[in-house]
Amino acid sequence: MGVKRRPSTFVLKVNPILCDGFGHCAELAPELVNVDEWGYPIIRQEPTKINNAGAYESAKYAVRGCPRQALQIEKITDAQP
Amino acid sequence: MLALTSPYFWYTTRATGMVALILFTIVVTMGTLVANRVGGTYVGRFEINELHRSLSIVAMLFLVIHILSTVLDSYVSTGLISAIAPFTSSYRRLPVAIGTIAFDLMLCVWVSSLLKVRIKNSSWRFIHWFSWLAFASAAAHSFLTGSDSHKPWGLAVIGLCVLVVALAGLWRFFGRPVRAAGRTALSPLARAPLAKTSNSRPASSQKVVRRR
Repeated sequence: MGVKRRPSTFVLKVNPILCDGFGHCAELAPELVNVDEWGYPIIRQEPTKINNAGAYESAKYAVRGCPRQALQIEKITDAQP
Repeated sequence: MLALTSPYFWYTTRATGMVALILFTIVVTMGTLVANRVGGTYVGRFEINELHRSLSIVAMLFLVIHILSTVLDSYVSTGLISAIAPFTSSYRRLPVAIGTIAFDLMLCVWVSSLLKVRIKNSSWRFIHWFSWLAFASAAAHSFLTGSDSHKPWGLAVIGLCVLVVALAGLWRFFGRPVRAAGRTALSPLARAPLAKTSNSRPASSQKVVRRR
């Protein structure tokens, strides 16, 4: 059975080598990103629903707004549809 | 139909050149604000970054108008090739060439920023350093060949622009914070008073601070 599975959740991933702690992601996606005391991001590890439009938009803004291009959105497809 | 010999092209060139220089001063200074992690409490850091990006497009627009009106002006024998290739203008060869070099460098910076998601970030950063050279060339160009550069107000504007960017450069070089120190809007440190030194950190921390 060819059941088309679409990703239903996502997590924001940071490349810690590129990140320089500008803190733009925490401002652009406050529901997903916090900063530690040195200004580096602490990102929500639990997958977020893609249909949570506000969070998904914020994540896209954070990816676009990162001065080091250190962020990316990783979409997750559930095991069972 | 506009006559190509009318002085309006010259007026346009003068005006847009001056405005472009001022705009590039603001763009370079705002870029320094972003790099030095300014903002986070009253104005967002991302907002300064967005303003830096948007204003750079406006500045490039003024620069393109400045170049086009120079090319179209039939009084000066500066062709379309001279917009890209330096030392091809028979009119004021050296000052125009310096302006051409500034435009080429700005094009590099602009195109690399448009392709930012496709190129390596280290390449983008390297090319972005060109903007300092581009501004220096632009300032030299405006001083050497600007029609208003020998009037007190013109000299004052150019001098002020150079001074602002020179201070920004010094600040960029000496004043870069070791780390963001968590001073973004959401940080618990956001409302805390500023530490005396930017590299103060808890003694318990074993984290090695990278300094560039």
